[in-house]
Amino acid sequence: MHPISIAMITDFFFPNVGGVENHVYMLSANLIRRGHKVIVITHSHQPDRVGIRWLLPSLKVYYIPFVPIASSATLPQFLTFLPYLRTILIREHIHLIHAHASLSSLGHEGILHSHLLGVRTVFTDHSLFGFDDAASILTNKLMAGTLKNVDAVICVSHTGRENTVLRGELFERYEEDPDVLSVRRSVYVIPNSLVPEQFQPSPPKSSDMITIVFLSRFAYRKGIDLLVATAPRICAAFPNVRFVVGGDGPKLVDLLQMREKHLLQDRIELLGSVPHTDARSVLVQGSIFMNTSLTESFGIAILEAACAGLYVVSTRVGGVPEILPKDMISFANPDEDDVCRAVGEAIQIVSEGKHDPLLAHERVKTFYDWTQVAERTEAVYDAVLKSPQMDLWVRMQRTMQLGPFAGPIYTIILIVDCLFFLFLEWWMPREDMDFVQEHWNQDRFAELARKATRDVQ
Amino acid sequence: MNPKVLWRRQDHPDNYIAPGSFLSSLRKNANFRPYTYWPLVCLSCAITQHLATIFIFVSVFVRLKEKHLDPRILVWISVGCFCTGYLCWELLDRKGVDHGHRHASRIKTVKSSILIFLALMSLSPVLRTLTAATSSDSIWALSATLFGVNALLADYSTMSDGGKVNERLTSVLSMNAAISASVVLASRLANDLAVFALILFSVQAFALFPRLRRRLGLCPSAIQLALTAVLSCLSVLVTVSLSRTVTWIYSSAQLGVTFIAPAVLVWAQKFKNEIRGPWDVAVPKVN
Repeated sequence: MHPISIAMITDFFFPNVGGVENHVYMLSANLIRRGHKVIVITHSHQPDRVGIRWLLPSLKVYYIPFVPIASSATLPQFLTFLPYLRTILIREHIHLIHAHASLSSLGHEGILHSHLLGVRTVFTDHSLFGFDDAASILTNKLMAGTLKNVDAVICVSHTGRENTVLRGELFERYEEDPDVLSVRRSVYVIPNSLVPEQFQPSPPKSSDMITIVFLSRFAYRKGIDLLVATAPRICAAFPNVRFVVGGDGPKLVDLLQMREKHLLQDRIELLGSVPHTDARSVLVQGSIFMNTSLTESFGIAILEAACAGLYVVSTRVGGVPEILPKDMISFANPDEDDVCRAVGEAIQIVSEGKHDPLLAHERVKTFYDWTQVAERTEAVYDAVLKSPQMDLWVRMQRTMQLGPFAGPIYTIILIVDCLFFLFLEWWMPREDMDFVQEHWNQDRFAELARKATRDVQ
Repeated sequence: MNPKVLWRRQDHPDNYIAPGSFLSSLRKNANFRPYTYWPLVCLSCAITQHLATIFIFVSVFVRLKEKHLDPRILVWISVGCFCTGYLCWELLDRKGVDHGHRHASRIKTVKSSILIFLALMSLSPVLRTLTAATSSDSIWALSATLFGVNALLADYSTMSDGGKVNERLTSVLSMNAAISASVVLASRLANDLAVFALILFSVQAFALFPRLRRRLGLCPSAIQLALTAVLSCLSVLVTVSLSRTVTWIYSSAQLGVTFIAPAVLVWAQKFKNEIRGPWDVAVPKVN
């Protein structure tokens, strides 16, 4: 594909760490490696991370001075981002924006504004949401409004795609068969990935002790209640089993109480919060990884554990059944008895030596690869750039389909956005802008670095 | 071959959807049990009873204010109600709780009822003048709002078996709203005895009766229906001599709550469309 300029827009980015943050960074790095120019636009972080920063390898990050309201997400404001975005997209000669995460209002705003500059839009959804609580109803409607006019949507798992299609109303009547609603053709599934080299398994230990690793945030959604209920039963049933539990969160007290009540201080080791860089060193202490999440759109932690050579026991939720072949993972329903059964099964498999950590690592290496993810994402970009651009009238008609209340509201926002854009064109003319003439030049950097080292010598 | 796997690179492009696989695990109205009409009518009895209590209380207040009712009679009525109610409670308690425990709780009940009786008696002069400086219009508006809050937040559920009391915050708020309403109304009365009688009655009607009602919810529905009929007839009877308009409005509200609202709910169920799928947050089952 011909090299293009891409802007990743998301509320969730470095210096915060997490699944989305890591995904955006890795995808950007691999797209840069494929010859594209990539910038990231996110909100500022306390105390002083605002303005333009560079990350390796030549990733330019714009930190816009917006204040996050809760868990690093900014307030949905619809219009305030336009002056910044317009300037950045024009001066960086951006062809396509890629918004991430459905709770990132910066990303939604990016999709809303980009068509004014003829810039194409792609959206990646990273999480699963229900339909039956007030917060979901509201955020789903906001997302449906944005996704009405997006050029392509990427989901990280098939379950995620089903969920996003329902939440974002990504179905349409096509000319061939106008009676049937069918899923929009621009909805893709591209899985997340990992860097297998970071999760090298340790050489097999010769010990009768079997260690179960549990590594997660201690929150209700991670199924800590199941861990609290099953850990004492597993310890009682298998005297050669010990637990290593890493993480922190509101449910920590429950774990501590359980450990104290059943006198399991010597069997259950609590490590506290484990930074992602230390995840491998915790994982390789064990031979079974236990995950009790109640919802999970992809389950990158499971993949990392499998890559580090652990056999996985997981609850059968969300996209987890899609990520690994059946012989590397045991599934349980989210109830106490079944989790105990599945862990028992896993202990048997591991103690009989049927699970080879090094082989598991080699297999995961062949399953997931960032280069491949970047390639597949590139194919989406290519399809988007080749597809015809919607004009404003079509956009308004499509927005009106949102419903009797949301439709007119969103259409008004769309029109006001256009007027605001026209005002900005008059107020800050393009001719007066400072365009970015040169981007990072890796060859020149290498040459300079060589010269500098020579001078020192 | 399962088309929904991510670890194997599929031969199709990434936007391909295998026929028949999309939303294959979507379930519609999975845990849906349709309501039927008559059980709903029975369940609505609790609301009807509560509305009846409020109207009986208001008409008692009007009579006290207009001096059609001697406060002493009201005190005796309250005492009679308390004794009847306590007897019912004891009868319901007869099975289950052990003898010694019941004896102790009986002594506690007698002690606290005497305490409340004396406290109310000594507080009634204060309560009479508490909001005397406020104009009557504000009092009517305030008490109407408070009764509205009371009816909205009241706990209409039946008590779980074993008679364990688990009060929700809203039901406590509801009781407080009703007692506050009676306190502000009491300041419109002429003498201390009337104030005492009214507050005593409000404690019976809004603090003790709802608890008994929740226990009675476990009884056969015939008793429920009889109690509802008696209470609503009584409330209509005591209201009709005060105002015909109010009686019309009130009885249509009663009929609406008891017979029309359940019908609307049963009809509205055909619009129910609950979707469940693998993306939902699972509910952990812990023994």
